[in-house]
Amino acid sequence: MADARRGIVITVFSTASAVGKTLISINMAAELAKQGYRVCLVDMDLQFGDVCNYLQLQPQRTLTDAVTALETDKNSFAVQDFLTTYDRYDVPFGVMAAPLRLEEAYNIQTASVKEVLLQLQLRFDFVVIDTASMFSDINLTAMELSTIVTFLGIVDFIPTIKNMKSGHDSIREMGFDVNKIRMVLNRSNSKTRIDLQDVEQLLGSEFYHILPNDFGAAQRSIQTGCPLVLDSKATPLKTEMRNLVARYTNRPLEKAKEDSVSWFKKIFQ
Amino acid sequence: MAYRVILVEGNQQMLERLSGVIRSAREFELAARYQRAGDALGQGSVFKPDIVLVDIDSNDNVSLLEDFVATFSAASVFCLSDKWTPSDSEVIAKAGARGFLIKPFTADELQEAVATFAKTGISAGAEVFSFFSSKGKSGKTTLISNLGFSLAQKTGQQVGIIDADVQFGDMAVFLNVAPKTTILEAARDINFLSPVTLNGYFAPVDDNLRVLCGTSRPEYAEQIGIKNFTEIIAMARSMFRYILIDLPQGFNPISIAAAEASDVTYHTAMINGGFEIQHMQRALEIFKAWPDYENRVKTIFTRVSPCDKEERHKLSQALGYPVAAIIPNEYMLVSAAANNGQMAMRVEPDSMFAQTVNRLADDIIGKTHIRWGNP
Repeated sequence: MADARRGIVITVFSTASAVGKTLISINMAAELAKQGYRVCLVDMDLQFGDVCNYLQLQPQRTLTDAVTALETDKNSFAVQDFLTTYDRYDVPFGVMAAPLRLEEAYNIQTASVKEVLLQLQLRFDFVVIDTASMFSDINLTAMELSTIVTFLGIVDFIPTIKNMKSGHDSIREMGFDVNKIRMVLNRSNSKTRIDLQDVEQLLGSEFYHILPNDFGAAQRSIQTGCPLVLDSKATPLKTEMRNLVARYTNRPLEKAKEDSVSWFKKIFQ
Repeated sequence: MAYRVILVEGNQQMLERLSGVIRSAREFELAARYQRAGDALGQGSVFKPDIVLVDIDSNDNVSLLEDFVATFSAASVFCLSDKWTPSDSEVIAKAGARGFLIKPFTADELQEAVATFAKTGISAGAEVFSFFSSKGKSGKTTLISNLGFSLAQKTGQQVGIIDADVQFGDMAVFLNVAPKTTILEAARDINFLSPVTLNGYFAPVDDNLRVLCGTSRPEYAEQIGIKNFTEIIAMARSMFRYILIDLPQGFNPISIAAAEASDVTYHTAMINGGFEIQHMQRALEIFKAWPDYENRVKTIFTRVSPCDKEERHKLSQALGYPVAAIIPNEYMLVSAAANNGQMAMRVEPDSMFAQTVNRLADDIIGKTHIRWGNP
């Protein structure tokens, strides 16, 4: 496996909660899967992750089980045994669920999680990681492994922007490659009196992509368990989410494969 | 007119050193000094002191504190010790002494001690309230800043806010202060501090309201040791009547330590159409490890609409746990206030937001009144 090809890792990070990380993560995973890529979505908001809530999944096995198995016997560890499949709308992708119990989440070891992520990279074209809003060992490890870090922000009020700025500065000073940090603005047209250009000036960089505010569509998605990109209803938010993924894959929307392939079941064999 | 000081210190060298400091301090005059407490008690009243400094490391001076307070009833009695401990603080407050100083002290520290304790005296132990949230964006910083303001206004007593959201604390922005020192420096220095000197690490916000701000950079968070952090809380108990602590999201060493050190932990969550009730239920399961969790853990929902009794009842039913308070959705008021470094309840004191925060303050004060036997 020395020359094994490793997949792309996209970490979705922010310095504030409730900015839409989980919604973006599940839509990225769904859009990539829809295009025929092998995709795994990892919920690394270990204590209060919402990936399975948003996708209406009831996982039988979680990251805790994966880590335990890995720590028990690395040689027989098969990461795919610990995934839950999302396969509604004929768009299958794997989900590594967050621990079910808080005490499991609290005691999980970063080194083991890193190994799980490396294993996932060997099996999937894309590994999308949803995170908790903090600089923790586990998040920094995910960021180090990542091909792209989607640093998600919203411009609602000054304290949020202050934290976006300090988080952005910290990431830069930690020595992460500037090219892999993509500042993405969510809910761009939400109620605010703050000028976007002022925020970009403060951050010292422009937003890589901008997602419009559509609270209603986001709520519908959460209630139905259907990612917006799989919903038949066209909305500006859906379009921009798909455009963001297209920019990451360098594949314009019209050229992306719309048919899902039968690779997924093979993974679990 | 200078303060007339009587100094009681058992150690001859320390007596000389402190005498020199007092003589050099502006607005202070050394009226008399003694190595033996008995001499001070028997003879000191001749000098009509304003301040009596009593070394409590020597002999049984602690047991004589009440005598000092009674004998020098027109003066303020301050205790001197090599090191501050929470138990000292309790004993001192019970005896009726006014304050505490670490020795040796400087002239500035003496002046600051008198200025600080002149207002309030040493506290016998503040009530500490932590604000926990499963995830961020719970509205707790807005709530704490306004609640602190309300408690200070209503009681006229000292209220301290500790921003322990160590990576992304926003309290300085909410309260519009530019702190010279933060929780980082306080944690670093705590072993050398006393309530007087720790007070200087808190930035003044308003009459009776001070804040110990969070770090200026997220990476500084890891430099805050848990032991030192809990020492800050313990020492702050002797400085304030109420302490409100803003915690980082989720369970982590800081939030657990603060909750353990608090009288009450408020689990705060914002209603946003997500899974906030389920998250709160999971967190409550952890808190149930405390035998007295029903008294120590309370819940608050913010951005509740409609914000009425019926909604509170519904939330309580859904949660399976009593809801202590609900705060209305007044986003434009709250965000405009935060953007301008103002307190929402000062901007619109008659708003429903202000009314609900005031009610929570009343609950806290009411509870306190019962505990402390005040009317």
